[in-house]
Amino acid sequence: MKSIYHLRAVWIALIFVLAIESAPANDNPTVTASASKFLLRVNSTSQFYDFFRPWIKKPPFSRRGIGALIDGGRILVTADLIANSTFIELENPASTQKSTATVELVDYDCNLAVLRPADPAFLSGMQPIALDGPLKVGDQATILQLEPNGDIAQTLGRITSISVGSYPSDLRDLLLFKLVVPLQQRDGSFTLPAVRDDRLIGMLMRYDARNQSADIVPTAVIRHFLAELDSPTYQGFARLGMAFAPLRDPQLRRYIGLKEPGGIYVTGITPRGSADIAGIKKGDVILAMDGISIDQDGNYEDPDYGRIPFSHLTNTIKHPGTVLPFKILRNGQTLEIPVTMQVANDEQAISKTHLFDEAPKYVILGGLVFIELSRPYLKEWGNKWASSAPQRLVYYDAFQNELPADRGRIVILSQVLPTPDTIGYEDLENIVVTRVNGHPIKSLTDLSEAAKKPVDGFQKIEFEEDPKFVFLDAASIQSNAENLKKHYALPSLERL
Amino acid sequence: MIRIPLIAYACFCTVATLNAVEISKSLIRIEATSQEPNYKTPWSPGDVSSGVGAGFVVDGKRIMTNAHVVSNARFLSISKEGDPNPYLAKILHIAHDCDLALLSVEDPAFFKGTSPLEFGGVPELASVVSAYGYPLGGTRLSVTRGIVSRIDFQPYSHSGMDSHLAIQIDAAINPGNSGGPVMQNGKVVGVAFQGYSGDIAQNVGYMIPTPVIQRFLTDVKDGHYDQYVDLALTYRNLFNPASRQALGLKDETTGVQVCSVYSGGAAYGIVKPGDVILKIDGHTVSSDGTIPLEDEAVPLDEVVERKFKGEKVQLDILREGKPITLTVPLNEPWPFKLHSNLYDEKPRFVVAGGLVFQPVDQNFMRAHEPSNQRLNYIFDYFINDELHTNRPEIVVLSNILPDPVNAYAEEFRYSVVDEVNGHSIKRIEDIATAFDEQTDYYVIKFAGGGRPIVLERKAIEEARPRIRGRYGVTSEKNLEK
Repeated sequence: MKSIYHLRAVWIALIFVLAIESAPANDNPTVTASASKFLLRVNSTSQFYDFFRPWIKKPPFSRRGIGALIDGGRILVTADLIANSTFIELENPASTQKSTATVELVDYDCNLAVLRPADPAFLSGMQPIALDGPLKVGDQATILQLEPNGDIAQTLGRITSISVGSYPSDLRDLLLFKLVVPLQQRDGSFTLPAVRDDRLIGMLMRYDARNQSADIVPTAVIRHFLAELDSPTYQGFARLGMAFAPLRDPQLRRYIGLKEPGGIYVTGITPRGSADIAGIKKGDVILAMDGISIDQDGNYEDPDYGRIPFSHLTNTIKHPGTVLPFKILRNGQTLEIPVTMQVANDEQAISKTHLFDEAPKYVILGGLVFIELSRPYLKEWGNKWASSAPQRLVYYDAFQNELPADRGRIVILSQVLPTPDTIGYEDLENIVVTRVNGHPIKSLTDLSEAAKKPVDGFQKIEFEEDPKFVFLDAASIQSNAENLKKHYALPSLERL
Repeated sequence: MIRIPLIAYACFCTVATLNAVEISKSLIRIEATSQEPNYKTPWSPGDVSSGVGAGFVVDGKRIMTNAHVVSNARFLSISKEGDPNPYLAKILHIAHDCDLALLSVEDPAFFKGTSPLEFGGVPELASVVSAYGYPLGGTRLSVTRGIVSRIDFQPYSHSGMDSHLAIQIDAAINPGNSGGPVMQNGKVVGVAFQGYSGDIAQNVGYMIPTPVIQRFLTDVKDGHYDQYVDLALTYRNLFNPASRQALGLKDETTGVQVCSVYSGGAAYGIVKPGDVILKIDGHTVSSDGTIPLEDEAVPLDEVVERKFKGEKVQLDILREGKPITLTVPLNEPWPFKLHSNLYDEKPRFVVAGGLVFQPVDQNFMRAHEPSNQRLNYIFDYFINDELHTNRPEIVVLSNILPDPVNAYAEEFRYSVVDEVNGHSIKRIEDIATAFDEQTDYYVIKFAGGGRPIVLERKAIEEARPRIRGRYGVTSEKNLEK
């Protein structure tokens, strides 16, 4: 089965692995016993919100990963492991001693978090691990796991690709190592340290058992995260806020009068993003940034990692606030535009990509449930949400950059909890609200405020789609509010 | 819910004036050879297939059957009980919106010994009916019997977009029953036309009732089928007391709320969203949208269903609390065919530089099943969001026939074309016109921005013989439906 799969695979990295000898069995552990004193079990209990019923949480579940003690008494884990956590516990594998932990900082963009034990003495006798430098494709690295008795299980793997790839947060492309390594599922999570010669080379964050392929957050990203953590205010990773297309087609290159090699074609600008503020426009050709030329696929020559996408330079090597001069071809003229790299403000997003550690907002009016559109809401439709969720909402989420800059949030009537006030409305769901009592609705707060001003005793709610509008009896929903709460066991009729 | 058209036939008969033997003399077995156009290679003539359905002789030396039995037909061979010879038939009229068709036979000798069947009314619930046909394609007549289970508006799956009155019966009807008469007391009370596949529901078959059949026969009297007329509006129940009060309704049972009135439709500019329909042609509209008609509560649409092009309908409306009376001339069918299955149409397309451009319709979407979010939204909401006001047709880059000229175009498959050389693309014809222009570069821009595709005229011309030969592109455009 395995060999058949390999034959079918067109994945370049995998072909590369087949081309080299498979890694020999590892007789010499690359981590010595004394150096293993940086390992900690991290048991995290998480509870996610139910976006279909935003007033309740889904059942709690536990995951167990392995954290790495680094300098400053910090324990490094992936953000995934502790997303929406309600309780985090650290366990010393040698002594089996336990301590609760708090999150010092979590950044879902780079999928990293640092924890601290409630009791600092808990770390006594442990030794932090140092971060390794850059690796090359073909280098070996060891993934560390823990046996139930506290012994260390070491599995050797080989780096098959180094590029910029998507992180679990969905909106982030950062540097990513791919490592081919045969791992056993031991702890319900693949948050595991990857090491070489007693130094940390990254944190494993995803594992594809079929391909035996592990995704690793490399030290380049970890260093950026820690440097930001030690700066007066954590800003994280800047974002250019720009979509581009490669410029390989010679017909297109001739048409736009591009004589020099390389260059990428700007196809989209995120409103209020770094590129937008700097004045980069759709149709511009970016030839170079900070004096470094960009090839026709959007790659540059990185001194450590070779040809990789330029976003590593703008997002990870440079910190927010850096000004980068961009060399641009516009209408046949070459110009230089300084771009101040800024972090994206997800608060301004029309539809948020993720909502961790944050209770989703809602307003219930007489039994009509209103929410704001977000990617996690659409994801409640399951793995095929992009085709099975309501297409208008999917469209608004996917193409939010094309909506008017002042669009605001998309407020949806998501469902109806039937009450005497909602007779005849039971079938309404997932329709976009435009106005309430004549006031335009650009957030749930707008809706909550507008609902305080009924007109002639009615709440008039208008929608983009059929039925276009409905009325509620303002006095009646007010007097029925307590009943509604009791009847459906709602903790509150709104959460803003 | 999957309703399957029944390419076959059904019939049944109570112990009545005509017995099965007599009825069988008027039954026709139809063997249709059809050619389905291929929307993935629109220049190719399409696959040929054949199916069996039923029909019956009606007044005027005509044969009635389902539209879906004879759709896309290239050759129709018919035979009758007791005569071994096949005869050639032709389509006289075809109504895809109500799944009915009338055939004529070239050889007048065919009708010797047949007698036209007569039509009855709407049978009563629980009364017994018999279905006649050729289920599963056999050559000998089959008769099954059942009762009338339900009389209701139903979607007609042939077009996929139309709903009309339909009668559910529990007689076994299967593929091959399609087009066959359903009889009661020696009269035709319906034409068997669709059912469920056995794993969804058992003993549920549908027939087209005589009001729909009679409307079709009346419509074609002038030699032309005009289709159903339609108000082209949506309405919704008014059960909610607050809505009723806010809209100024004084009683508790009447009126429906108008939601959307589609531009291009009959009611556009006359009826307004937010109006309350109180009466239609004098029939009081209940808050669930039904009117009493012949002792049954039927959807108010039935009034319009029974009318013909050129007639009028009168609406009593409550607008902003004031009663008014409006007259809507019914000159238009439902204005949008986008989501309907289409038949007897040739796919339209333009090929330039190996790029295939096609207008999007239901046939296209069914063949391609594109997973392009932007296209899916534009297609789904083309009517509701009135996207057609900007572009009467959605034109997409549907395929790329790989060649050096288009080596970098693959990522644009199923993208909606906005412009070619600055000309906005509103119909497939606009693509043909734009590529007829003599210019050095053709710059194709797509909805949502992105980079353009640029093709050099020289490169297109060099590629033309290569692409025609390699991919068997027999024609570079077809703009005729």
